[in-house]
Amino acid sequence: MKKLFRTLRSMRFGIVLLILIAACSVAGTVIPQGREAAWYVQNYPSVHGAILALRLNRVFESWYFIALLVLLCLNLSLCSLVRIRAVIRTVRGETERAAAMPDTVLLSPEGTEKLRCFLEDMRCSCEAVGEATVWRKHGFGHYGTFITHLSILLTVIFGALALYTPTVTDQSCMPGESIFMPDGTKIRVLDFRITDETGRLDYQSHVQVTLPDSRQSEVAELKVNHPFSFGPYKLFQQTFGTAGSVTVTNLENGGTDDFLLTEEAYLSADGVTGIHYEMLYPDFIRDPSGNVTLITVTEGSYPHPIYRFDVIAGGVFTPTLAEPGDELELTGLRFRFNSPVEYPGLRIKHVSSLCNALLIASFMLMIAGLTVTFFYEPVLVKTDADGYAVGGPKPERMRIELSEEFREYERTSKEEAT
Amino acid sequence: MKALFFAAFALYGVSVILEFAGTAFKKDRLLKAAWYVFLAAFLLHLGFIVTRGIIAGRLPLSNQFEFANAFAWGVALMLVVMRPRLKTDWLSVVAMPATLLVMTYAALQPMEIKDLMPALRSAWFGVHIGSAVVSYASFVIAGCIALRYLLSVKKGSADERALAQMDYISYRMVAFGFLFLTVVILSGAIWAEQAWSAFWTWDPKEVWALITWIIYAVYMHLRLRRKRKGTAMAWFLVIAVPVVFFTFAGVNTLMHGLHTYG
Repeated sequence: MKKLFRTLRSMRFGIVLLILIAACSVAGTVIPQGREAAWYVQNYPSVHGAILALRLNRVFESWYFIALLVLLCLNLSLCSLVRIRAVIRTVRGETERAAAMPDTVLLSPEGTEKLRCFLEDMRCSCEAVGEATVWRKHGFGHYGTFITHLSILLTVIFGALALYTPTVTDQSCMPGESIFMPDGTKIRVLDFRITDETGRLDYQSHVQVTLPDSRQSEVAELKVNHPFSFGPYKLFQQTFGTAGSVTVTNLENGGTDDFLLTEEAYLSADGVTGIHYEMLYPDFIRDPSGNVTLITVTEGSYPHPIYRFDVIAGGVFTPTLAEPGDELELTGLRFRFNSPVEYPGLRIKHVSSLCNALLIASFMLMIAGLTVTFFYEPVLVKTDADGYAVGGPKPERMRIELSEEFREYERTSKEEAT
Repeated sequence: MKALFFAAFALYGVSVILEFAGTAFKKDRLLKAAWYVFLAAFLLHLGFIVTRGIIAGRLPLSNQFEFANAFAWGVALMLVVMRPRLKTDWLSVVAMPATLLVMTYAALQPMEIKDLMPALRSAWFGVHIGSAVVSYASFVIAGCIALRYLLSVKKGSADERALAQMDYISYRMVAFGFLFLTVVILSGAIWAEQAWSAFWTWDPKEVWALITWIIYAVYMHLRLRRKRKGTAMAWFLVIAVPVVFFTFAGVNTLMHGLHTYG
């Protein structure tokens, strides 16, 4: 049991876990993730069996990857616990132990005096212990690695919660319409535009949220990089679309209907004669002879939209094109093709803001921990009349610095001194 | 404006030639000339970055060219800052070619200035990408120092003090880069939550940044806890540099993901 505990908290085990996580991650980027099984059979004919059996098509959701993360959390927890105890023990008797260190570098009397001034200039605090003086600085640096490991542990835990607990809904909504969530929350989209005043792409909508308890948000601007939070919901500008707009007038009674078309549709009064809407193309080129080439993809708003549909009359399908403003009459119906309508695709997240806040706090803690670990290394120098010795958990920097600074005052080699 | 870039590029090339010649023939005057030419290139390069930033009306860090250009400048900046502090020039012979290498990659990328896409218009843009520049440059410099360490050990041309200094400085550079890589990943996560609604999406760029982080975390543990130093650790740093380059350029070229901005 003790051996298992030692293994679980050991650095070697932690490194093995990190290497395995890295290896799985490499596989997860080399092999496209989340496709259907048939796709792997087609694209990896010789190894698809292994890919599917080892779940390399969904590495980051596989049991073994999650197990590695859980083991890493366990390793970090145990390692942090053991480390903090060891650090507290080390810090307690540090001054006495430092005072008892034999000099590793012997200096001339002039060098010793200069060293004293140097350590004072470094703003080290000093304590006399017998004939020796112990100089210290950055005592809190002892806790750097503990803080770092703790913050990584917290990041993994809160990161997993932030990643897997929110409920995410992607929903398109026409301007002026509303989205109703299962709990009764209403999200109203007032307007949407793809470009700003200067013509620069900038997907922007105005939304208003009403919670089930009738609390209502202000009208908020929603843009990429500027989500909007209200109650438990966080709204993101995720995507956008362009819908065809057709007004149909019944010539007999004058009644009209407006249709926003995002997919194929059949518009008819009698089910026999009408139009079969195919799609709206963003742009087209008309050559001198009148032939039209349709363009399927453009960036931003549609520069020259054109409707593509079939006129169905007497069982005959006639492919037809219409530009915004065009009208068509068919057996008692008038179809007017309007300018297209742009609409946003929103991502609606039901999220715990506490979890997000804790995750961001863990991030800050990690940066603080790493800064303390790397840039506030504890300084522990023992000096006496003959020379000095450097102690502490990370003596390397100080040894090199002092060695460079006082090499001209050295009286003898390190080996001789010890 | 392109003239500034190519002038800097050419001067970096000249400085590398002078540095190699000075090292091969042990001529101090050539080495000195190499350093001054390098400084001139560095200033021209800075001029190019500032000019491009003014013309674009934003930080020039938005696509592969701009990032590679800043990355090269970052490597040069590290050398410019460190050389006088170290009071030695053992770094130049490896760091100058490294700068030229990244500049060459930048020169091969499309250079036109484009409007920032909406997803990139964020306060995190400078923090995230600026940190990446600092981090990658630090890792490359650490790799350069490690390479120089290995060459010195092989030739027997450096004393123990110099080797200890090289070993220690390479570790410090990794520590510096590691901190900034952590900032890259964490600021990227916060930004991703704002832009794409999730802190982490397992996007190839994110994953490779994490892999790079893990590799250097393993280095730090071996160095700090197991007290591993010297040749083995130097090899580790040299071998890690291609991973940094893959994370920087390979992922964008070979893998499709949310970070594919062109």
